[in-house]
Amino acid sequence: MNEVRCASYADDDLVAWVLGDMAGGDECALAEHLSECPTCRDRTAEYRRLEQSATACRKGDVIRWRRFESPFGEMRIAASRRGLVELSWQTPSDGAFVERLEARYGASPVVCDCDDLVPAQRQLLEYFERRRRAFDVPVDLGGLTEFQRSVLQAARGLGFGEVATYADIARRIGRPNASRAVGNALGSNPVAIVVPCHRVVRSDGTLGGYTGGLEYKEALLGIEGRSDLLGPPGLF
Amino acid sequence: MDAIRAEATRSTVDHEVPVDEWAALYGDELERHVTRMLGNPDEARDIVQELWITALRATPDYGEGSNIRAWLYRVATHRTLDVLSGRKRRNALLGARTTELEPDRLPAPDDGFRGLSEEGAELVRRRVAALPCRQRDAVWLRWIEGKDYQTIADRLGGTQEAARANVYQGLKKLRRELAGVWNGGELR
Repeated sequence: MNEVRCASYADDDLVAWVLGDMAGGDECALAEHLSECPTCRDRTAEYRRLEQSATACRKGDVIRWRRFESPFGEMRIAASRRGLVELSWQTPSDGAFVERLEARYGASPVVCDCDDLVPAQRQLLEYFERRRRAFDVPVDLGGLTEFQRSVLQAARGLGFGEVATYADIARRIGRPNASRAVGNALGSNPVAIVVPCHRVVRSDGTLGGYTGGLEYKEALLGIEGRSDLLGPPGLF
Repeated sequence: MDAIRAEATRSTVDHEVPVDEWAALYGDELERHVTRMLGNPDEARDIVQELWITALRATPDYGEGSNIRAWLYRVATHRTLDVLSGRKRRNALLGARTTELEPDRLPAPDDGFRGLSEEGAELVRRRVAALPCRQRDAVWLRWIEGKDYQTIADRLGGTQEAARANVYQGLKKLRRELAGVWNGGELR
């Protein structure tokens, strides 16, 4: 694609002008040039149009993400405009995390967060420091099946330090025979900790599984003062 | 000018903007400037009149030592470019489907591109989503959220210059990709 170029100004100048990055004097000179040069005028009008579509972009959905240090290691969280969609301390890199979000949320731009997710980060760190018992951040479970959503909503009903069995949850959502499916749904929880799937354990008193690794489930229940569930080590 | 001021002050906060002074100083040259672009002195006069209203209503972001002449030129030129784009799009539409267009489907003469249709907005968002990661981050923070380059550099790592380069690269790529669609007159 060969586009006509102007000898006086490069595209960078036109972008700078539209964004208001230019010094006053240069800005006037370029404005005057635009009245004489149809090539630059057309091109600048396109940048201007692009600049104006920012408003429309601002309205649509976007996935923000950020990384921070936590007692579990590097933690990454992501949110749509409706709430948290991901929390992970096991993704190996920013790139891998972003790729997964892109694959999952397709058309929405996935961009790094500047400050929107700071409250979520702060609350998580307060929780780890045992200074917080409940999270006051919205969660967006829109990408899940209705069954998964109902299981995770039921888990959200469990308070700090409160535990239920897989069978309890199955009964609460009106599917008393679906304990195994409940386990699977909890295993697919994309927003661990905030949606407290670690508070669901087996009927025989053992902890059951945890997608993030059983040691983390133990750690979380420990934070919530439920060391009684962990059992004395090496008893049997 | 009194009528303009009366209309504008209805929604103004009480900062005194010496619009009359500016009109006396820069009015003629701005009108000539806009006329050179539009080729129509009447339309140019309208745009410059609108400019004084904008100046009265604007919370002056032309402050901070920036020069007022540059601000007036920027706003007048932006508006003129909008009018030109609207004109161009109408011509493209008319040229492409003269025979099928019904009169009530013609874009209004002054609609510029103030509004972007749903699918137009979706198209832009998809293109932004498809930008390389660093450009996408930088473009979003600067262009959508209006963050300054130092903030972007702090957030993404690297220098202000690198942040700015990523913003510019991203916007140039977006323009290249979208210009074809826009100039085809199919979306607005």
